[in-house]
Amino acid sequence: MEQSATINGIIADLAQIAADPGRYASGWKARREGRVVGILPMNFPPEIVHAAGALPVLMQEDDAAITYGRSLLHEFYCGYTRSLVDQAATGKLAGYDGLFLVDHCVALLGAVDAVRFELPEMPVYLAQFMASMDEPTTRPQVGEQIAALRQRLGELCGVSISDAAIQHSIAAYNRNRGLLRKVYDLRRRGRIALGSRQMQVLIKSSMVMDVEEHTAILTKLVALFEAYPQVPEGQVRLHLSGHFCHAPRPELLDMIESCGVTVVDDDVFTGYRYIATDVPDGPDPVEALTQWYFDRNSNVPCSTRAQKTVDWEGYLVDSLKGSGAQGVVVLIAKFCEPHMLYYPELRKALHREGIPHLVVETEHEGLALEMLKTRVEALVEGIRRPRIATAQALA
Amino acid sequence: MSVITEATKPGQARTAPNANRLVSTRAGGKLVKDYWDNLFTARDRGATVVWYNGAAINPILQAAGVEWCHGEAFGARLAAMHLEQPAQLAGEAYGYINELCSYARTTLGCALLTKQEATAKIEMDGLPGVPDKEVLASRLPPPDLFVNAYAGCSTGQQWDEVSYRVFDKELPFFKVSYPLLWGNRPDAGYLRGEEWDNASKFVASQLHGLIEFLEHQTGNRFDWEGLRESMHYIKRAAQLRIEALELCKARPTPAVFWDWVASIAPINFLPGNQALVDYFAAVKAEIEDRLRDGVSSLPNERYRLAFDGIMNWNKVGWLANKFAEHDAAVVCGRYTHNSFWHEPQLIDEDDPILGMAQHYLLCPFNHSARNLAEQVLRDCETYGIDGIVFHATRTCRSATNGQLLLAKMAQARGMQTMFFEGDVADESFYKDEVLQNRLEAMLETIDVQRGR
Ligand code: SF4
Ligand code: SF4
Repeated sequence: MEQSATINGIIADLAQIAADPGRYASGWKARREGRVVGILPMNFPPEIVHAAGALPVLMQEDDAAITYGRSLLHEFYCGYTRSLVDQAATGKLAGYDGLFLVDHCVALLGAVDAVRFELPEMPVYLAQFMASMDEPTTRPQVGEQIAALRQRLGELCGVSISDAAIQHSIAAYNRNRGLLRKVYDLRRRGRIALGSRQMQVLIKSSMVMDVEEHTAILTKLVALFEAYPQVPEGQVRLHLSGHFCHAPRPELLDMIESCGVTVVDDDVFTGYRYIATDVPDGPDPVEALTQWYFDRNSNVPCSTRAQKTVDWEGYLVDSLKGSGAQGVVVLIAKFCEPHMLYYPELRKALHREGIPHLVVETEHEGLALEMLKTRVEALVEGIRRPRIATAQALA
Repeated sequence: MSVITEATKPGQARTAPNANRLVSTRAGGKLVKDYWDNLFTARDRGATVVWYNGAAINPILQAAGVEWCHGEAFGARLAAMHLEQPAQLAGEAYGYINELCSYARTTLGCALLTKQEATAKIEMDGLPGVPDKEVLASRLPPPDLFVNAYAGCSTGQQWDEVSYRVFDKELPFFKVSYPLLWGNRPDAGYLRGEEWDNASKFVASQLHGLIEFLEHQTGNRFDWEGLRESMHYIKRAAQLRIEALELCKARPTPAVFWDWVASIAPINFLPGNQALVDYFAAVKAEIEDRLRDGVSSLPNERYRLAFDGIMNWNKVGWLANKFAEHDAAVVCGRYTHNSFWHEPQLIDEDDPILGMAQHYLLCPFNHSARNLAEQVLRDCETYGIDGIVFHATRTCRSATNGQLLLAKMAQARGMQTMFFEGDVADESFYKDEVLQNRLEAMLETIDVQRGR
C-alpha cells in the first residue's frame, strides 16, 4: 500500500511537469542559467541540444482552445500544429531561446513558418532530414544536417560542442530510454498495473525534463515497480497505435481502460515510438546520431518516412504477438496526412491476420467520449465473444 | 453587387459576361487528350511505363526511352472532367478518409482500379458501381517502375510509398528528395544564397542517380542528346509562355489566369518537341492579336486580382465565369506564374541537369512564406493587382502553408485579400456562397479604397 502511494506520488509530480513544461523550463533556466531550446517531433536528436548545455524541450500540444493562432494557420491542420502556432501567438513561447526542427511533415513546416513569422526575434532553425531512407544520398545529407545543427546550437549557446559532450549526452539519453523500455517490458509481461495515463506521464515528462533529473526519478520508480509487482485488472489486452507528434488526451485513455481493457503496448509517439531506439556506440557521435535516425525507422516504422524495406503493419502484427494484445485501437490525429495515407495498409494487414481494430480520430477541440465509449465497448465485446461478434457481422 | 452587374443604358440590365477564353488553348486540350489516349495503349505496344509524381521529370523519362504517367495530372484530368468519382469511391472503400489529399486518394483510387483490372486481387469494402474498363479512372496502364519526385509536400512523397505497396512492393522504385527552400541564413532568398546553391547541387546529383537507375532498369542507354533536344524545345516553349504572360500587364488584360490554367498540362508533362513550341507560339500570337485588335478577356475589366493556391480542378470553368460576372480579371497566380519552367534562363541547353534540378526545387509549394511573398507580391506589383484571392484548399496543406502569412504581408502593402474554401479534386469542399459573399465584399472594399 505504502509503495503504491509512493509510486503514485512520484507519477503525480511528473504529471505536473508534463502538464506545464514551460513552467518547468523557466525554473530550470533560473536554476541553471542555461538556454531552453524548443525541439519538434518526431526525429530530433535531443542529445545535440543537451551537449550544448541547454535544456531540450520537446514541444507539446497544450489544452487551450485555439484563439489568435487561427489567423496564422488554417483550421484544417492537425491539433498539434494548430496548438503550436497558437502558443506562439499567445505569448507562451516567450521562455524559449530558439526552436529547432528536422522533420519534414507538410503541416509541421507550415506551422513552424507561422511561428517564425509571429516571433521574428526567435531563432528558428530547420535542419531538414530527407525522409526517404532508401537512397544513398540521404545518409550523408542527414550527417551534414546534424553537423549544421551542432554548429548553430553551439552559436546559440556560446559554446563549441565537443565530441565528448555529445557522447556524454548520448549515454545520458540511452540510459533514460533504457529505463523507460524496462517499464514497457514490465507492462507487456503483466507485472505492473500501470495505466496509459500514467505511462504517458512517464514519456511526456522525459520529453521535457532535464534528462539526468528524470533518470534519477525513473531509477527509483523502476526499482519500486520491480520490487512490488501488481497484476492489471482489465481483461482484454489492447495495443494503442499511431498518434504522431503529440499525446492523445488522457481522458480518452481512461475511457478506453474503463471498458475492461488493459493497454499492454503501444506505438504512439508519446509512447514506445519515442523511446524504442538507442543511439549506437561509435567513435564519431555525428555518425552515431545519423545511424539513430535510420535505426528508429527500422525499429518502429513510421509513415512519415519513406522506406521500401520496412513496414509499419509488419511491425504492428509482430509486436502484438510479443505482447499478447488481442486488438488494436488506431488513434489518428484528425488531419494527420501521413497517418491517413498509410492507415489502409495497416487495416489490410490487421484484416489479414484477423486482428480486430477500431479507428478513433482525435481532435484538439475535444472528443465525444460517450459515443466513442460505445465503439470501444463493441470492440471489447467482439474480442471477448468472437463467435457472437462474427455471427452478428454476418447477419 | 449582383450577377447582373451594370446597366448599359439606364434601366436596362446587361447580361453577366462570361470569360472570353483564348481559342488557341483548345489545341492544348487536343494534344493532352492524344497523349493520354496513346498512353492507355502503352502496354499493348510493349512500352515500359513509369508512374511518377511531382516535378516535371518527363524529359528524363523521355530520354530514357520509357513512357510516363504523371499521377497528379491524371487525377486533375479526372476532376476537371468530373470523372473522379469512381476513383475516389475506390479509395474510400480501401480505407482513405476524405480529409486526405484528394489528388492522392483519386490517383491511388486509379491505382486500385488498374490493379483490380490486372489481377482482381484488391481488398476493398463493398464498392458500389465498380466501373468497368470503359471508365477513364481504370484505364491507366499498370506501371513497370515508380519514380517519386515530389517537392515541397511530404504527402506527395509518401503517396508513392503507398502506390508501391498497392502493387505488392514488387516494382523498382526511385525517389528524388528535395530540401524545402526555407531560408535559415540571412543571405537566403529567391534564386539566391548558399542554401539555394547547395540544394540545387543536391537535387542535380540525385537526377544523375535517377538516370543511372533508369538505365539499369530498362537496359537502355540514356539518350543525352535526346535530353538536350527536348530541353531545347521546352526552354523555347517556356520562354514563349513567359512572354505571353507578360503581355497581360496590359489593361484590360487580353488573357486571364484561367487561360494559363488550360496551358498547365502541356508545359507540365507533354514531350519536349516542336509541337509544344508551336502551341505556346500560337497562344502568344493570339494574345498579340487581341492586343492589336483591342480585344480583352473581360468586356468590362474593373478589378485585377491574383489567385493563390493550387487549382480547384472541378471548378475551373465555373470560377472563370464567376469572376468574369463580377468584372474581376484574375490576371496572375502562384500556380501558373511561379511554376512550370518559369525561369527558363536557368536552363543550359548543353548541360541541362542543374537547371532542371532548380526548376524542380522551384515548385510553388516548396518555399517558405518569406520566399513566397517575394515572388507573389512582386507579381502583384508587375500586374497591377488590387487584391488576392486565396483558395484555401481543404486537403492540400502544401498549397495552404504560408497563405495566411502572405495575406498579412499583402495587407500591409495596402492590398485586399479574401479566402474561399474548396479543394484540389474533391468538389464537396467547395462552398459557392462563401466565395460569392467574400468576393463581393472584397470588390466593394476595393471600390471604397479607390473612392478615397
Ligand atoms: S505528422 Fe501528423 S501529427 Fe505530426 S505534425 Fe504532421 S500532421 Fe501533425
Ligand atoms: S497535399 Fe497538395 S501538394 Fe501534397 S500531394 Fe496532395 S495535392 Fe500535392
